[in-house]
Amino acid sequence: MTEQEKGLIRQGIRSKYVQVATAGTACCFSYPTGLEGLRLQGYPLELVKDFPAGILDSFCGVGNPFSLGPLYPGEAVLDVGCGAGFDAFVAARLVGPEGKVVGVDATPEMVARAAANLAQVGLKNVRFEVAEAESPPFPDNSFQAVISNGVFNLTLDKEKALREAHRVLVLGGRLLLADMVLVSPLPEEKAGRIENWYQ
Amino acid sequence: MDFLALLLKVGFHRAALARYTGFKSSPYTEGALFYGEKLVDAGLAEAISAQAGQLQPEARQAGQVECAPGST
Repeated sequence: MTEQEKGLIRQGIRSKYVQVATAGTACCFSYPTGLEGLRLQGYPLELVKDFPAGILDSFCGVGNPFSLGPLYPGEAVLDVGCGAGFDAFVAARLVGPEGKVVGVDATPEMVARAAANLAQVGLKNVRFEVAEAESPPFPDNSFQAVISNGVFNLTLDKEKALREAHRVLVLGGRLLLADMVLVSPLPEEKAGRIENWYQ
Repeated sequence: MDFLALLLKVGFHRAALARYTGFKSSPYTEGALFYGEKLVDAGLAEAISAQAGQLQPEARQAGQVECAPGST
């Protein structure tokens, strides 16, 4: 892949998620989002029943990473590609006030949306930063768990992003990841199109 | 490269495609849940990474998970 193609992909992904940050999830996804998506994926809704409707509506994950195993009180959690922050808020409730959650996203507009949502939910153990999955700005062995939902498919260097997730985990730490995978080959006319990355 | 093989290559232990989620972003893509752990013994992690290439055929059978553009 050329640098020009990588630039076009980054630009396309950013444009899509700027739209999600400003217009909401209804614009951009072909699967259930918001409360319907949460119910279908078996999220622990009792943890978030007091969240404003707008925050529940912001969920656009492709699965439920929390179904892969527990988060324990007091743990530190990194949410890679946090979007509007919904999963980070769920994690914050699970790890409790003695734990902490950091959400990173490559799109500044999404981080701004997450920060605005954080102000609404009032959680004190969450913060958000702008960072790419390939370069999270944290020391080795910083988190007991790394969570992610629909993000690694958008990373240009998946191996590096996974290597970084591994690096920032403590020994014995867990990766809980939901993402999109190919389940059948793309037809010839669609294979290799740059638009595949952000449609 | 297969996504499960990538998990193993970077050193994750107990790497697995746990299940599909049923959410489809296109006729060709579906949500999936992956799990991995960072080994307590760093030496074992290196051994697993070295074996990742040998494990690729089995990992592919688990879900035909390709790292194609726009997909994990």
